Amino acid sequence: MDRTLTNFIRALRNADIRISTAETLDALSAVELVGYEDRGALKRSLALVLPKTADEKEAFDLCFDQFFSAEDVSGQRGRAGEAGPEDAEAGEDDSEGQGGDGEGGGGGDPEGRQPPAAAGKKKKKAKGAPAPGDQGEEEEDLGPGETSEASSDLGRLLMTDSKVELSMAMTQAGEAVDVREIQVFTQKGLYTRRIMEEMGLGELNREITDLRDSGSIPDRRLGQALRQRREWLREQVRDYVERQFLLHADADGRRLREDLLRKVKLSNVEQRNFRLIQEVVFKMAKKLTALHSRRKKVYKRGQLNLPRTLRNNMSYDGHIFDLHWKSVKVDRPKVFAICDVSGSVAAYARFMLMFLYSLDEVMPKVRSFAFSSDLAEVTELFERNSIEDAIAKTLRDYSGGSTDYGQAFADFKRQCLDDVDNRTTIIVLGDSRNNYGDPRTDILKEMYDRCKRLIWLNPEPRNSWTVGDAEMRRYQAYCHQAEECNSLMHLERIVGNLLRTVQ
Amino acid sequence: MAEAAPNIDKITESVDTIKTELEAHRYICSDQIATAVYLAYHLRKPILIEGPPGVGKTELAKTTADMFALPLIRLQCYEGLDEAKAIYEWKYGKQLLYTQVLKETLDEVLQGAKGFAESVGRLHEFGDIFFSEEFLEPRPLMKALKAEEGCVLLIDEVDKSDHEFESLLLEMLSDYQLSIPEIGTLKAAKEPPMVFLTSNNTREISDALKRRCLHLYIPFPDVDLEQRIINARVPEIPGELRRQLVAFIHELRDMDLKKVPAISETIDWARTLLLLHADSLDPALVRDTLNVILKFQDDIENVNAELTTLTSKATKT
Repeated sequence: MDRTLTNFIRALRNADIRISTAETLDALSAVELVGYEDRGALKRSLALVLPKTADEKEAFDLCFDQFFSAEDVSGQRGRAGEAGPEDAEAGEDDSEGQGGDGEGGGGGDPEGRQPPAAAGKKKKKAKGAPAPGDQGEEEEDLGPGETSEASSDLGRLLMTDSKVELSMAMTQAGEAVDVREIQVFTQKGLYTRRIMEEMGLGELNREITDLRDSGSIPDRRLGQALRQRREWLREQVRDYVERQFLLHADADGRRLREDLLRKVKLSNVEQRNFRLIQEVVFKMAKKLTALHSRRKKVYKRGQLNLPRTLRNNMSYDGHIFDLHWKSVKVDRPKVFAICDVSGSVAAYARFMLMFLYSLDEVMPKVRSFAFSSDLAEVTELFERNSIEDAIAKTLRDYSGGSTDYGQAFADFKRQCLDDVDNRTTIIVLGDSRNNYGDPRTDILKEMYDRCKRLIWLNPEPRNSWTVGDAEMRRYQAYCHQAEECNSLMHLERIVGNLLRTVQ
Repeated sequence: MAEAAPNIDKITESVDTIKTELEAHRYICSDQIATAVYLAYHLRKPILIEGPPGVGKTELAKTTADMFALPLIRLQCYEGLDEAKAIYEWKYGKQLLYTQVLKETLDEVLQGAKGFAESVGRLHEFGDIFFSEEFLEPRPLMKALKAEEGCVLLIDEVDKSDHEFESLLLEMLSDYQLSIPEIGTLKAAKEPPMVFLTSNNTREISDALKRRCLHLYIPFPDVDLEQRIINARVPEIPGELRRQLVAFIHELRDMDLKKVPAISETIDWARTLLLLHADSLDPALVRDTLNVILKFQDDIENVNAELTTLTSKATKT
């Protein structure tokens, strides 16, 4: 099994791209076909197999670039060897070269930070085995390359200056300490240290200490070089952990935030979370859309649709071959939303409208009305503007004034009570605080009698529904359903129910 | 198309060979599209093509059929399309006729049969004959499976069909086989068809269908690619005019229009301008021919208002 690919797919799933096992297998056979050699071809091929919507393709692009610059090809050791030249050339142009053979395994280092004193290293590499005794013939900082051999594994590795091997070792260590399990950003330091230790930091430290105290100059130079390289390596590892965090954990954190947002009271959502909550709303709406986009038919079992059957069998000389049964198409709900947009409820109205209009694929017939004292239809605003703009405009134009439910219902009656029929669902969103005015329950009763369902959503908790100027007790009598609704979770449940109701 | 039998192995050797071959058939495409055809051929998977209308989704299927010199079987989807129109139908008329014939010879058939059980047994033999392939009217999907030398099956605008039909396609797409209750399972001939599905995204295609397909999204081409497309399709047009009109179209695509012009409109416009012997864009000319590229009165009015700026932007070198 191809480790790299499965890891990549895991990263993709973290980025909210849905990938099934079957698609993973497809990806495998695609990779077998095109191989890892050509990064462009690999990307194009996987882009065909894995992401299946335009949005996912965008996320995929991002993910691919991030992943295949960060990832070594741990499952593809052989290839890595071929692709990333390990000799002097690697040191020579690694600052640019790595990007090119990124998926080849060398790309552990997108910044391509040149290790200190790389120039010297080249020389040493070219000569192959170190030549002791030949010490100090060059300038100060070049010295170490020519001198004693590092005794620790990590030290030797560092001195070879092969980025490919280093990043391979780094990834291996990363796997060993399960860096993929990283959850929150505070763990970054921890994982950095663990990886360093896994790679043999302890041994290296001891060696450096020993070398510093050593009498021979070449040894001391080696120590110096190793120290520099240790710092360099630390930065590399930090970058590596950072990338792993972005790939694997950031999504988890995000999910956590989204979960919280679902439950938080909508009036408490801070401005800075608006964008995120919008995304959550759209995501929820999309889920509901996917669930209900199928236009259902209910078959009345055993009842023959006689006219249709006769019509369809005319061509067979009236012999009845092809039977048609009676069925009823389940209607998409026709929704009238009446929103109180006065100060206290405006925040809720915003998200409810957002929710309703994000569902336009499954609820094409939403008409919305906004009021604080006078009621007006805002459907057209939503037809002409994007959802956000329309909401902003609605709130701007109608939110002034003190709440008057009686007036609003009277307006509604005048404007469009005639349009309410027995397939209409009316949703009223408001806290029913009427400033001690006339509640006009008679109109609400009329609406109740005409419509299929009347749902009252009240953002206040149930026990304050009757406190003060709230008229909920009276209104509730004329509602099919009265619900407390002050978080996205409530909203999702109610809208979900709305879509599920079969006549 | 000139050669009798194109060497399919050679064409599908690599992405580049496919690209050149498609170009030879006047379909200029990006690497992504060529990769899709390459993978579809080698992995034997259907391609689901999405993208705005008029970017050459259907054309890709047609050109591929041309390229492989395979017959193209096309199934246009619409609401209410069902298995009788997509897969197969019994030839009811023929069955009826044969029943009539049988009625007259019933005595002969039953002659000598002893007892009721034996008579029914004999009649059963006929029953099976009535539901055999002889009486089957194959529709596009079945035709595609039965094509001996393989074929290209184009299921056009699959988003227009019902959900039920989508589910119907699943068996066909994943295993290249169809189940007919009366006969059994019908498997593809030795070369399974190459399947292209197109969708204009009027609704979401179900995950189950997407999972079985390669997903190719064709966006509007960039300036360079579109110029090459125009060059391939309308080679007679002068180079300078081609540059200008492509630039103009790209300006339009950045505007907020009801329907932005697609490649097919660009090609139409190029032909129109060629017919009018134009050799460079000017506002009057554009105004007169705007209805070729824009299909809504609102859009035309919007663009008319800014015509001079747009034209000068496009003609600027």
